Amino acid sequence: MKIRRRDFFPLAGAGLLAGYAGWEGMRSRRNAPAGPSPVVVLKASSYSDDLAQRILQGVRECGLDVRDQRVLLKPNLVEFDPNTCINTDVSVVAAAYEVFKSLGAAEVVIGEGPGHRRDTYSLVEMARYRDISRFDDVFVDLNRDDVSPVQGFADRAEMYFPNTALRADLVVSLAKMKTHHWAGATLSMKNFFGLVPGSVYGWPKNELHHIGIPQSIVELTRIFRRSFAIVDGIVGMEGNGPIQGTPKPVGVLVMGHDLPAVDATCCRIMGIDPAKVEYLRMAADGNLGNVEESGIEQRGEKIREVQTDFKLIDSFKGLRLT
Amino acid sequence: MADSYLGVRLDILRRSQNPDGGWSYYCGKQSWLEPTFYGALVLHGDPAADRAWSLLKSWQAPDGSWPPTYGAAVSGWGTALCLTLAHIRGDLDGSYLKGIAYLLKTAGTESELWRRALARLGFVDPGRNLNLKGWPWKEGTSSWVEPTAHTLIALKKAYAQLPAPELSERVRSGEALLLDVRCKDGGWNYGSPWALGEDQRSYPETTALALLGLQGRAEAGSSVDLAKSWLRDTPSSLARAWITVALRLHGATVPEALEPLTGQGSPDLMIVALEALGAQGGNYGLLKTEVAG
Repeated sequence: MKIRRRDFFPLAGAGLLAGYAGWEGMRSRRNAPAGPSPVVVLKASSYSDDLAQRILQGVRECGLDVRDQRVLLKPNLVEFDPNTCINTDVSVVAAAYEVFKSLGAAEVVIGEGPGHRRDTYSLVEMARYRDISRFDDVFVDLNRDDVSPVQGFADRAEMYFPNTALRADLVVSLAKMKTHHWAGATLSMKNFFGLVPGSVYGWPKNELHHIGIPQSIVELTRIFRRSFAIVDGIVGMEGNGPIQGTPKPVGVLVMGHDLPAVDATCCRIMGIDPAKVEYLRMAADGNLGNVEESGIEQRGEKIREVQTDFKLIDSFKGLRLT
Repeated sequence: MADSYLGVRLDILRRSQNPDGGWSYYCGKQSWLEPTFYGALVLHGDPAADRAWSLLKSWQAPDGSWPPTYGAAVSGWGTALCLTLAHIRGDLDGSYLKGIAYLLKTAGTESELWRRALARLGFVDPGRNLNLKGWPWKEGTSSWVEPTAHTLIALKKAYAQLPAPELSERVRSGEALLLDVRCKDGGWNYGSPWALGEDQRSYPETTALALLGLQGRAEAGSSVDLAKSWLRDTPSSLARAWITVALRLHGATVPEALEPLTGQGSPDLMIVALEALGAQGGNYGLLKTEVAG
């Protein structure tokens, strides 16, 4: 393949972007959380509650400043089944959009790259995301965005990611609180699978499975370190998640900027021992975040007040928190 | 013509072609192989299609494969699309042969060695016959329905010029793999009919693609009726477009005008191209294949 001169400049730009992202990742690895990470648990009994007020409270409690920043909101949109609750609810996405706009972000976009289904817009339609005002103007299909390489991803020399995600100053993982039949639980870290472009890696994003699901989750968390998590646990999913499970009302939103700490807290709420979840153990070993309770400054509700055991499939019964 | 269902879509495609000759999925973005392939099919015989093919030809890697977009060092599934297009255009030079050789040497790698060993020893049920070889999205990963279906079209077309036993053997194995991963409901999802003891449901879009790959196979017939029902019921414009193409190639009757979808639709240019391809008077016949061997 010849590189023509007119092609050089975009490629050079992509290389610079990739180099920067790789460097940022390394820098973040060295700057692992020094003290306890704040994680906020707030009650929200239904999707008709004032979710914007809750999210605003969580963001403020974490001291997050998004003024003049480019913010990417990344919901969990996988499949649609009217009989269950696979995806981040539209009201959580809408409330987050409203809050980050109100906090003075320079740009707030909503982006997702579903892992199974090819027609992204059909999914957003069915999940009612298009009810969000001016949705089409702010939505980016991350499966089909322009891409750039990032150097180093597990044992791969490089991995391609959507430019919208790479140039975001902050990626907000709007995850769903669910069990996962391969990973144990899918929360804010696993949600980053949707940042991997299907147009490069296909549907499903089988490259991540071959690298290893826990390794891929950890690598994505390392690369997208400028992040914040808002986990929709108002109604989660238990049993054979992330698609065929059953709804599990929990009535909480869980938020924080340390994604492993947020996911560890969600696990405790779900009755799962985070120390037994492989990707959380790996994240802790790699200094990507705090997983032990002593490293997490719990704010809002106490875990024991909202804790409710999620049903686990047989192969994950050993994850139960004792 | 200009105001017809097909004419409107052809006009959109002509207006949205990138200066480099390719198409993006969404207006204003970089050119990608997949929408460029469908744009070139739809406008076959038009100078716009020639520009598209010139661009795609320039992307071919030294090993005969194609990346999904210029400069992406990831080879795989798009190779089949480009070889199908090369065959349609009669561009069967050394680059074409190199591409066919690439497809013949590429096969899905089913999971890790230890999992394969456990499956062969009968300790785990992988949910599929691991002896069957299909094609992956990306080299080094597993076989899936969509890349296998695209590759079957490319190889079946190639068989007329290259009636090699190796080629017909791979076609047979690929077709058998598609039939092996058909879901219990009669359709296909991306390629996992069964997981952790539970049947998985099929999807309309992947069922259509499997039917494209299984042209000429009688066993596919029972899935055609399912595809017909989805043509009425699916809310996905992408799925409807692919189903229309597949049904036409299986000789099924397709309504001239489908009921419009209730939603807002998708701005994806590839869907526009697929709708044009499957339209009355569209170029869907270019994807027709004969049985190989």
